Amino acid sequence: MFELSEYLIRGALLGVTYGLLAFPVSLLFSTTGSVDVALGAYAVLAAAIMYVIGGPLGVAAAVGAAVLASAAVGVISMRLNRPGHVDHVIAVLGTFGLATFIESFILTIFGTSPMIRQPFSVFWDLGGIRVSPQMGINVTVCVTILAALFIVLKKTPFGRAMRASAINPVGAALNGIPVKQIWFSTYVIGGLLAGIAGVLILFTTGADYSTAFNLTIWGFGSAIIFGLNSPLRGFAGGIVIGVIQAFSAGYLPGGWATATPLLFIFAILSVGRMNQIAATGGRV
Amino acid sequence: MANSVASRLVPALVVIGAVTVITPVIGASPFWLDNSVLVAVFALLALSAGMAYGQAGILSIAPAAFGALGAYATAILTARYELSPFIGLVAALLLPMLLAYPMARAITRLSPLPLSIATILLSLVLELAIREGGDFTGGYIGISGIPSLWFADSLFSMHVLGWGLVVVVLVLYANLTDSSIGRAVKTAKHDPLRATADGVNVPALLAVYFAISASVAGLAGWFYAHHLSYMGPDSMTMHVSIRILLMAVIGGASTFLGPVLGATFLTLITLYLPAAETQGMIFGAVLILVLIVTPNGVLGTDWKRMFRPRGAQADAARRRTVEARGGAA
Repeated sequence: MFELSEYLIRGALLGVTYGLLAFPVSLLFSTTGSVDVALGAYAVLAAAIMYVIGGPLGVAAAVGAAVLASAAVGVISMRLNRPGHVDHVIAVLGTFGLATFIESFILTIFGTSPMIRQPFSVFWDLGGIRVSPQMGINVTVCVTILAALFIVLKKTPFGRAMRASAINPVGAALNGIPVKQIWFSTYVIGGLLAGIAGVLILFTTGADYSTAFNLTIWGFGSAIIFGLNSPLRGFAGGIVIGVIQAFSAGYLPGGWATATPLLFIFAILSVGRMNQIAATGGRV
Repeated sequence: MANSVASRLVPALVVIGAVTVITPVIGASPFWLDNSVLVAVFALLALSAGMAYGQAGILSIAPAAFGALGAYATAILTARYELSPFIGLVAALLLPMLLAYPMARAITRLSPLPLSIATILLSLVLELAIREGGDFTGGYIGISGIPSLWFADSLFSMHVLGWGLVVVVLVLYANLTDSSIGRAVKTAKHDPLRATADGVNVPALLAVYFAISASVAGLAGWFYAHHLSYMGPDSMTMHVSIRILLMAVIGGASTFLGPVLGATFLTLITLYLPAAETQGMIFGAVLILVLIVTPNGVLGTDWKRMFRPRGAQADAARRRTVEARGGAA
């Protein structure tokens, strides 16, 4: 029972970071109808820069680099996809291109070594479970950011414009909402969140150049569990993915431990609500 | 009817013509023959990606995974159990198909975006399965000692066999595309609701088409394994899949010869690129550039129309509209 609760707590704490990655996946999908595959690459880029520079300057440089990279994707996606002239698959291919570029850039500049920092040597004791204070920082940062974004989305004119662009881009444009700029800023917000997630990941599980696509998958998986159209539910999805990872690592042998969360996401994809989109030819 | 049959043979005839011209030039050089075999392998893989993406609209990030499945199938049967490479060929064709079909039945009901994510998942799980397969797959070490093909035991004959396979696949692919199945797949790609209204079972049709494309990748894997005589977990990873997709997109995924052209260009240009780590930057940048300049690829773009002055473009569009309505220009 103790072991079970240990995996549960560790998984939930790990999943908080995935929740931060899930938010931009949902936000982008509900606003532009697209997916940014390079999201994990922004996070690894931020982790790599933070690993080298360190300190508050490192945080600024890491998050700044992730935002710059996402702005580049935003510009490319705007070029490939305009409101009223949309081919999401082409836009996804474009984000694949940038993800491949960033991954290769990280490999060339920072090498193959794993990047991880352990800032705390003293651990908290939660009913016999040793937890790093870094986990507390992760939870605080993630909850604060998500609360701020919730307020922005629900209570500000920008949030209303964003929701209007998501529900009806043509109608929003006719009402004077700058839909293209809203789409672009959604990509940039994604980069900002992924950059922060990357910094937290560096101090939690660490990363290397090859983890970019995996992080995208964890973010995407977290976002789809409770419905892709609600960014806040993605946070809960992140916790579920984290718990599944922790249980798989604890109870299953090597390969299965890694494969089980992937198979779980595949199962969710197969039976989930997104299927309804294809059944009507993408017209709902 | 005669015109239709001839047009279906054109892509294969172009490849036969190009190989006939090039073979005497490279025939004496083992280096270029080896690269020609590699180009043929990637041409088959890119054709598989072109079938899935260009024809059916399935952005599959798994052609290398299906290729690896075909390669490991023949490697295990021929190197471990000393069976004939022809039995390996049957397994390499069927196994990717048998995996792709049920998977596709589950995922072709999805919209295109989650579908591509699903193929990434498949790719990652297959890579894991190969690494964790222990003695059966050779684990992290891989399988060596895969026998060469007794009927193609020299580099020259592998070069001929490789391009022969490309020609056979091109002929079958062109025939399939021109058939009622091919037309139904195109309709399902552009308007699934219309295809459903026409009585097409869209998920089943796309699943079959996806399975056929996986089988072509399996064929490439079979040929690759017997050429290299070794298969390791890093031989065909997801990154190779992305490169294969890039080949198809650069050449023109919806055309027959586009993937072959893309595979030739990218495989040969890799010989002159700097260290392997930096190649991703070049490939990524090229992919973005191609998508912006010619989203339909080199062979899928109407270059004349692209370089026609704007006024002439509008005139041509007006003329086409009038002609379509049956009126006078």
